[in-house]
Amino acid sequence: MEVRGTQLLLSDGLSAAGAADRLAALVPVVTQRAHSIDRAFWDTFDGRLHKAGLALAAVGGRLVLMDAASHAEQAGADLPRGTRRLLLEDLPAGALRERLAPLVEMRALTPIARVRSRLLAINVLDELGKTVVRLRAEEPVALPGGDAQLALRPRLHVVGVRGYDADFDRVLALLTVDVGLQPAPRPVLDDAVDALGAAVGGTSSKLRVALAPQERADAAAVTILRRLLGVIEANLPGTLADVDSEFLHDLRVAVRRSRALQRELRGVFAPEPLRVFRDGFRELQVLTGPTRDLDVQLLEFGELAAGLGEGTAPDVAPLRLLLEQRLVAERQKMVRGLRSERTAALLGNWRDFLDGLVEAPQDDRPDAARPVADVAAERIGKVYRRMVKMGRAIEDDSPHEALHDLRKKGKELRYLLEFFASLYPDEVVRPMVSTLKGLQNVLGRFQDREVQADLLRALGDDIAAMEGGAAALMAMGVLVERLTEQQEQARAEFAASFERFAAKPQRRIVADAFG
Amino acid sequence: MTRVVALYNIKGGVGKTSAAVNLAWTAAEQGARVLLWDLDPQGAASYLLRIKPKVRGGGAKLVRGKSDPAALLKGSDHERLDLLPADFSYRNMDLALDATKRPTRGLQRVIAPLAGEYDYVFLDCPPAISLASESVFAAADVLLVPLIPTPLSVRTFEQLTRFVAAEVARPRPRILAFFSMADGRKVLHRSTMGALAASSDGAVLDAAIPAATDVERMALERRALADFAPHGRAARAYGALWDELQPRL
Repeated sequence: MEVRGTQLLLSDGLSAAGAADRLAALVPVVTQRAHSIDRAFWDTFDGRLHKAGLALAAVGGRLVLMDAASHAEQAGADLPRGTRRLLLEDLPAGALRERLAPLVEMRALTPIARVRSRLLAINVLDELGKTVVRLRAEEPVALPGGDAQLALRPRLHVVGVRGYDADFDRVLALLTVDVGLQPAPRPVLDDAVDALGAAVGGTSSKLRVALAPQERADAAAVTILRRLLGVIEANLPGTLADVDSEFLHDLRVAVRRSRALQRELRGVFAPEPLRVFRDGFRELQVLTGPTRDLDVQLLEFGELAAGLGEGTAPDVAPLRLLLEQRLVAERQKMVRGLRSERTAALLGNWRDFLDGLVEAPQDDRPDAARPVADVAAERIGKVYRRMVKMGRAIEDDSPHEALHDLRKKGKELRYLLEFFASLYPDEVVRPMVSTLKGLQNVLGRFQDREVQADLLRALGDDIAAMEGGAAALMAMGVLVERLTEQQEQARAEFAASFERFAAKPQRRIVADAFG
Repeated sequence: MTRVVALYNIKGGVGKTSAAVNLAWTAAEQGARVLLWDLDPQGAASYLLRIKPKVRGGGAKLVRGKSDPAALLKGSDHERLDLLPADFSYRNMDLALDATKRPTRGLQRVIAPLAGEYDYVFLDCPPAISLASESVFAAADVLLVPLIPTPLSVRTFEQLTRFVAAEVARPRPRILAFFSMADGRKVLHRSTMGALAASSDGAVLDAAIPAATDVERMALERRALADFAPHGRAARAYGALWDELQPRL
C-alpha cells in the first residue's frame, strides 16, 4: 500500500501538543490520546535495509517493515521469541520474509537501536469527517541500555492516505509555509544510531578510498591497507560470534586484498618486516579457509540438492548433517586461532607498522616516494601482460592448475584495479574490468566445481558409515557427475572469454594507459 | 498469498455489507493488509467508510482493463484497509462483463495486479445471481454467506450450494455461511440454527452475528463497529467470526 510521506522537524520549543493546536486553527483535525511505544530497530551489519530506504522495527512482539521516511507499513510478521539474531529462515513464511529475502540474502538481522517515542496522532479530516492525512507528532529518545535516555529531535510525520493526494499537498504546504516547519534531514532511526555512537547506515566492507595520482606510493598503500585493516577488525567480532557467514567472507576478502597489495607494491616496504607480515597474513588466510569452504558448501547446498529432483533430494540429508558437523569442528579451530595472542599481535603490529611506514628510511624501499599512479600503472600493465601470456599457453589438454593459476593472477589484477581505478580514465578501466569479470566468472566456476566435487569425494567414506549412507552416497555420485559436467562446460567457455580479455584492441588500450 | 473472500447472498438485506466492513476492519486491526471492493452500486460499504462512491471511468473501463485499479483505491480511516469504491455504473456490471472476452474472469483481472499488496481482499457483492456473481465465484477463494436463520433463507443457501456445484467451473470457491441478524429470543431462529448447524458438515460457522442496534448505528456513525463500539456484543461477534474464519482461509 504505497502512500506518500515525509517528516518535518518540530522547531525549538514547539511540542507535539503545540503543533496539534497550531494545526487545529488551520484545518479540521481530530487529535487522539498520546501514547508511548518502544521500538527496537533491526538491520544487517552492512545496513541493507537502510540502503533500501526501509526500517524494520520490533514493536510488541511483532516485526514491522516500513518505509524509513513515511513509516508506512509494507509487511509484518510475528517476531520469533527470545532471539537477538534473525536469519531469513527464522522468520515465518509470508509477506515479510518474501519482501526481505532479496535484500537481506544470507545476512543476519540484529537489533541496532532501541527508541522510545511519545506519539500523538492527529488526523486531518475532510468534509465527511474522514481522515485524509495522518500526522504523527513524535518525541523520541534513544535507549542505550540501563536507565539512560538520549533525547532525539522531535518531529512530525506527515503521511498521506491513498487516493487523497491533493489533501496531502495542501496540508504539507500549510505546515511548511504557514507553520514554518523544516523537512527532517534523516529518519529518527538514523538520529538514534548516531546518538548511540554507531555507524549510520551500517558498516560497509567496501574499499572506497580516494587517492591522488601524484601521492607517494607508500602513503597510498598505507591509506588502502589501513582501510582493509579496519574491515578486518570490524568483521572480527561478527566472525567470532558467528552472526552470519558474510562476516568471515568480508574478513577473508580484506585479508586477501591486503596480501595482494603487499605483494604487488612490495617496493614500498622494507623486505624484512614485509616478509614477517606476509607470513602472518598467509596464516590468517589458511586459518579461515576450511570454515569458509564449508560455509559455501552449506549456503549452496539447497540449490545443489534441488538439482537432484524431488525423489533424490532427501537422500543427501546425511551429507548436510556431516557438513554441519565438520563446520562446527573447523569453526572451533578457527575461533581459537582468531582469538589467539598471535592474531592480536599480528594485527596490532601491522597497524603500528603502517603508522610508521611513510617516515621510515627509504634505502630499501625503491618505490616508496614515487607517484602512486606510476607504480600502479607498472603493476597493472605487468600483471595484465602476464595473464595474457599465461592464458595463451593454455591448451585443451593443459592441467587444471594452469587455469587455477590464471584465476589467481586474475584476482590480483582485479584487486589492483579496485585499489587504483580512480587514478585512470573510466574508458580505460571499464572495459578491462568487464572482460576480466567475464573471464574470472568462467575460471571461478571451473575451480569451484572442482573444489566442491573434491570435497564430496573426500566425504564418501564417512557418509557410507552413516545411517542412510548408501542412498546418500549414490545421490552424491550424481552430484559429483553433475559438478564435473559443469566444470567441463566452464572449460569449454574459457577460450572465448579469454579471447575477449586478451583481444588486440583491449591490449592496445592497456599498453597506452599503463605502458 | 492473498485470499479473496466474497460476502455473497442471492437475497438482499441479510447483513453482507456490515459483515464485509467489520470483517475487513477486524482483519486490518490484527495486522493484515486488506482491500475491500464495494461491488454494490448502492455503495453502502463506501458510505460506511465515508468514501465517495465514485470510480473514475466507471465499472466498464475497470473490468475491460482500461483503468489502473491501483489508481482508483482510497485509503480508509484504518491504515491497513483500502477501498475500491462502489460506482453507480456497477448496476450495469453484467453488460460491461458481457462485452469482455471472458466475462467470468472480469473481476479476477482487476484484483490480480493488486493482490501482492494485500493479505485479504473482501468483495461486498450485490444480491442476485447474474454474470457479475459468476465472475465473483471465479475470483473468490471463499464465498461467505450471511444467513438469517429462517427456513426461506436456508432454502436459498441450499440453492446457492447446488448452483455452484453444478454450474461453476473449477476451481470452485469454498462456501461457508454464518448466521446473521440472529435473534436468540425467537424460537424459529433458534431451531433453524440448530438444525442447519447439525446438517451442514462444518459449512456453517459457529460464530453468529446478533440482531443488534449497534449494527444499525453503523450507518449513523459511518464507522466500523470496532471503531466506535469495540466492546459491544456485535463487535465481539464479528471478532469471533473472523477468528473462526481466518484459519479456514
